[in-house]
Amino acid sequence: MIYYLLLPLLLLFLVVVQTTILDLFSLGWISIEISLIVVIYAGFHLDALRGGILSLVIGFFLDCLTSAIFGLYTFLYILIFCLAMIVAGRVYGEKPTLIASFTGFCTLLEGLVIVLFYRFVFSADILYALPEVFLPQAVVMGLLSPLLFRLLHRFEVFPHAADTRPARRI
Amino acid sequence: MLIPRKYRSIAVAAVLLIISLTVLSFSAIRLSETGFLRKMVLEAAAPVEDTINISLQNLHDVWKRYLFLVGLDDENRRLRKRNAGLTEQLNRYREGSLEAMRLRKLLELRESFPQRAVAARVIDRNRSSLFKTLLINKGTADGLRVGLAVLSDQGVVGRIIETSWHASRVLLLIDGNSNIDGLIQRSRAQGILQGAGSAGCSLKYISRAEEVLAGDVVISSGLSGVLPKGLLLGVVTGASRKEGGLFQKIDVAPAVDFEKLEEVLALTTDMKPKP
Repeated sequence: MIYYLLLPLLLLFLVVVQTTILDLFSLGWISIEISLIVVIYAGFHLDALRGGILSLVIGFFLDCLTSAIFGLYTFLYILIFCLAMIVAGRVYGEKPTLIASFTGFCTLLEGLVIVLFYRFVFSADILYALPEVFLPQAVVMGLLSPLLFRLLHRFEVFPHAADTRPARRI
Repeated sequence: MLIPRKYRSIAVAAVLLIISLTVLSFSAIRLSETGFLRKMVLEAAAPVEDTINISLQNLHDVWKRYLFLVGLDDENRRLRKRNAGLTEQLNRYREGSLEAMRLRKLLELRESFPQRAVAARVIDRNRSSLFKTLLINKGTADGLRVGLAVLSDQGVVGRIIETSWHASRVLLLIDGNSNIDGLIQRSRAQGILQGAGSAGCSLKYISRAEEVLAGDVVISSGLSGVLPKGLLLGVVTGASRKEGGLFQKIDVAPAVDFEKLEEVLALTTDMKPKP
C-alpha cells in the first residue's frame, strides 16, 4: 500500500527535477528523460499493475507539467511500458548493452510518435527533430540507462534490505 | 477473478492503453478545461518548481558574479598593463618633444657660427668633487680634437681635453684647471675666468678700479682663438675689493647648468661652406 501512497510524490518530485534541474544540462537542445528510463525499468522489473500505474502516473505528471497535448506522454509511456514488458519476457534484461540499445530505441520511438502525431493531427512538419534532437537524445539516454538501471535497482531493494537475515541452519 | 492470471498483464496493459488513447483523442480534438487532478498536480508542483528555480537562479547569479569578478580582475590587469604602456609611450613622446626643443636651440646656435659645429650627446659626467668633466659621444672620427670649444644653448660648456675616435672628454668651465678669456659685457673689462669647482667660477685680473656689479654678464673675449667672441660664460654674483692687491675678487655663476646638460655643440675651426 505504501508503494501506491509514496509513488505519486516521488514521481512528481522526479518530474519536477527533470523539468528544472536536468533541463539545465541539456542546454535547450535535448532533454534528459529520466522518467522514460524509469518506465522502461518498470517494464523490465515490475508486474503489470504496479508498472502500469507507475507509467500512467509519471506520464500524467509530465502531461500536466510539460506537454502541450494532454495525454500524449501518458499514452507514450504506457506504450513503452508495454513494449518493455514484452521484451523483458523474451530476453535477459540485465545486460547493459540490451538496456542501452532498448532505451535508445524507445527514445527514437517516442520521437517518431510525437513527430507523426504533430504531422497527422496538427499538420505540423517537425521531421527535422528526429535527426537533430531525438537521435542525439537516444544516444545520451542509451548511455545513461545502464547506470540508472543499477541505481533504480538499489533504490528498489533498499526498503527490503532490513529484512535480510542469514539463512537458518536446519 | 474474472480474468485468468495468464492474461492479467495483457488486460491491464490493454485497459491502460485504451484509457490513455481516449484521453489523448479528446485533448487532441479540442481544448478541454483543466481537470481537478491536473489542477492538483500543478498546485503541488508549482511551489517545488519555484523553489528549485529560485535556488538555481541564485546559484546562477553567484556564478555569474564570480565570472564577472574574474573578468573584472582580468580587465583590471589588462587596463593596468595598457596604462603602463601608455604612460611609457607618453613619457617617450614627452622626452622626444623636449629633446627636439633642445636640439632646435642647438641648431639655431650652430647656424649662428661660421665654423663647422658638431652636435654630440653627453654620455657620462664625472661626479667627483675634484674633476669637473663630461664625456661626449663624438671624437676624432667626427673632426673633434683637443682644445676645441664646447657649447650648449645656454652658453659655454668648456673645452675638449681628450679625444678618442668616437668619444671626447670635455673640461668644464667650473673645473679648477679651466681658464678662459672673458670680459664683462657692460664695462668691457677683460680678465680670465677660472673654474672654482662647485662654487662656480671666478673672474680674475680685473682691476680694482673697475666697477663690477652683481648681475653683470660675462662673455668670451675671443682673444685665445679657441672661443668666438661674445659667447655667454656666466653672470657675476658678487665682487669684492676687501682683499689686498691690484685686482678684485669676482664670483661668477656659469650660465650653463652642467647637471642637466644632455646635448652639446663642439666648434671645429673649419669654416662652413657658404651656401
